[in-house]
Amino acid sequence: MRILIVEDEIKTADYLHKGLSESGYTVEVVHDGLLARERILHAHFDLFILDVMVPNMDGWQLLQFIRSRWQTPVLFLTARDAVAYRVRGLELGADDYLIKPFSFVELLARVRTLLRRGPPREIHLFRVSNLELDVLQRRVVRQGQAIHLTNREFALLHLLISHEGEVLSRTHIASQVWNMNFDSDTNVVDVAIRRLRSKIDEPFDTRLIHTVRGMGYCLGPDTTSAAP
Amino acid sequence: MKLVPRSLAWRLALMFALATVLLLGGIGVYLYHALEREIVWRDDQALKGRLERMTALLEDSDSLAVLRQRPGLYANMLDNRESLLWLLDDRGRALLEVNPVHRAVPELPQGDGVQLATLETPSPARLAWVTVRFQNQPVTLVAGRVLDERTRMLGDYRHRLLASLLGGALLALMLGYWIALRGLAPVRRLAGRINAIDTRHLHHRLPHTGEVSELRVLGRVLNVMLERLEQGFMQLSRFSEDLAHEMRTPLSNLMGQTQQAMQRDRSIEAYQTLLGSHLEEYERLSRMIDSMLFLARAEQADTALDHQPVDLNALAVQLCDYFEGMAEERGLTLAPCAHGQVHGDVDLLRRALANLIANALRYAYTNTTVTIGTRGHDGAVELYVCNDGPRIEPQHLPLVFERFYRIDASRQTPDDSGGLGLAIVRAIAGLHGGTASADNHGGGVCFSLRLPVAQSLS
Repeated sequence: MRILIVEDEIKTADYLHKGLSESGYTVEVVHDGLLARERILHAHFDLFILDVMVPNMDGWQLLQFIRSRWQTPVLFLTARDAVAYRVRGLELGADDYLIKPFSFVELLARVRTLLRRGPPREIHLFRVSNLELDVLQRRVVRQGQAIHLTNREFALLHLLISHEGEVLSRTHIASQVWNMNFDSDTNVVDVAIRRLRSKIDEPFDTRLIHTVRGMGYCLGPDTTSAAP
Repeated sequence: MKLVPRSLAWRLALMFALATVLLLGGIGVYLYHALEREIVWRDDQALKGRLERMTALLEDSDSLAVLRQRPGLYANMLDNRESLLWLLDDRGRALLEVNPVHRAVPELPQGDGVQLATLETPSPARLAWVTVRFQNQPVTLVAGRVLDERTRMLGDYRHRLLASLLGGALLALMLGYWIALRGLAPVRRLAGRINAIDTRHLHHRLPHTGEVSELRVLGRVLNVMLERLEQGFMQLSRFSEDLAHEMRTPLSNLMGQTQQAMQRDRSIEAYQTLLGSHLEEYERLSRMIDSMLFLARAEQADTALDHQPVDLNALAVQLCDYFEGMAEERGLTLAPCAHGQVHGDVDLLRRALANLIANALRYAYTNTTVTIGTRGHDGAVELYVCNDGPRIEPQHLPLVFERFYRIDASRQTPDDSGGLGLAIVRAIAGLHGGTASADNHGGGVCFSLRLPVAQSLS
């Protein structure tokens, strides 16, 4: 998967480059609008990440240019979160936007979503290590032992297990499980994870739910795979 | 150019002058006409008297010749060159004539008794005539007076009146200007005092014992305005100070921790812990900036709301579900019993209620219940969140919704909302045309959000 990042802020471009490369994407970075246009014309990309403020040709113009030819997904980044900005970007055909400062985990999640081709596959049975989750029967089993979960705990585990190995931010979890779409500084998610752990991790030898400090939570067979 | 001058003093002076002109002009016109009438009446009386005396003279005289030869007989009663006298026979010929200005013999209609008329040509003259019998012949005795002198005199009088009127108006204008300047002096003094009040002297007030009662009202109103300005200004500067302080703490943590960590080589784990801790601080800063931006926007009156019907019960249930785990950990029970519907932005209302619940949970005693409910008022719904916990001193109650307001240090807990949670609640209430309030009740505190039911969808 090839991603083009158009961002004139060197530090931002640099960490995006590193982070996305480490997550297994082929990443190219340009710092200038006109150069970006050249690259867009001459190479194939699966995703564009555009900063709105880039020299010579701004993000809006690039977006219009891309949309005049291709349907490649576009994620735009902006430091201004005025509603007019977001609306404009989405009207011009952007697929998603992130407001600076954004968390890298969040960016990664958006990138994954945008690159997931076609409708998401409906998986009904998940298995990680010796943990099994059956969506249709609403059943969770670990080491052959059935575990009773409340609805929310089940939804939380479902979210984590369907993103196995990915770090999910607290904000993302709150929005997916409880439909809470604002940044809350309460520890509701931490409490919920703690309670989930007490049921699916603590009675067993190995832990599956890992805390990634400052970033969020990740479900995987062991700690070493917790990297995003 | 505008007809009305901008200066209040000049306006007053002009009005003063106008009033003077009207008044003096009116008096002048009245006096002039009175004088004219009086003069006309006197002249007429004089003419009639002359006719009577001439008639008597005619009766006493035997023949015309005597009269002609002795003009002194009647000339003495003719005072000057203005007087006219004719004795006309029945065919209009002059038998006797005193006519210094050489006027033509007038043709006069006959009538009974003394008649009066004013001739305009060749020059204005007033005539009185009467038909008498002289030596058994009907003769017409005409006495007259050329009006040149009178016209001139009245004309002069008119001119003098007009000149004094103009002079008076000019004097009134100057006098009026001077009076207005003097009268407006308190206004200038007030302006001077107001001018001295800048942002550093917002505590200055205008003296209540102003010299003019009209200005006292203005002074009072201005003082009230100053009061509000000062409060707003103090709040703003305190807010900036708080903001700087709130940002300084995490920044100082970040710098200190990093410098301390870099003093020697550390294990990978130590670096990871450090970075994790940094992230937490960054998130705190980021959240604070978000909240600040939110508050700043909420204060702009033109913020557009996405209005839709919001089911308060569904909202409360959803939030209780969200906070359930957290409440249980602290041995608290959440009791949602909200009813009704309001018009509003569901995301904002959810955020406001979430902040209230988080706040209530934070300070509740263990093993108590936090109640989320509604109360109906006329035209408004009050959404309240009550807990059992430490009461808030009455003097702090109106201030808890201020940004960064903390009642005391002991209220600052690790999961503190950064002091902006309740400010956001109030801002959201304001956006919906409602209010937020806090009250002590029973054994705890009730925070409520009063929202109008029938929202005008403007």
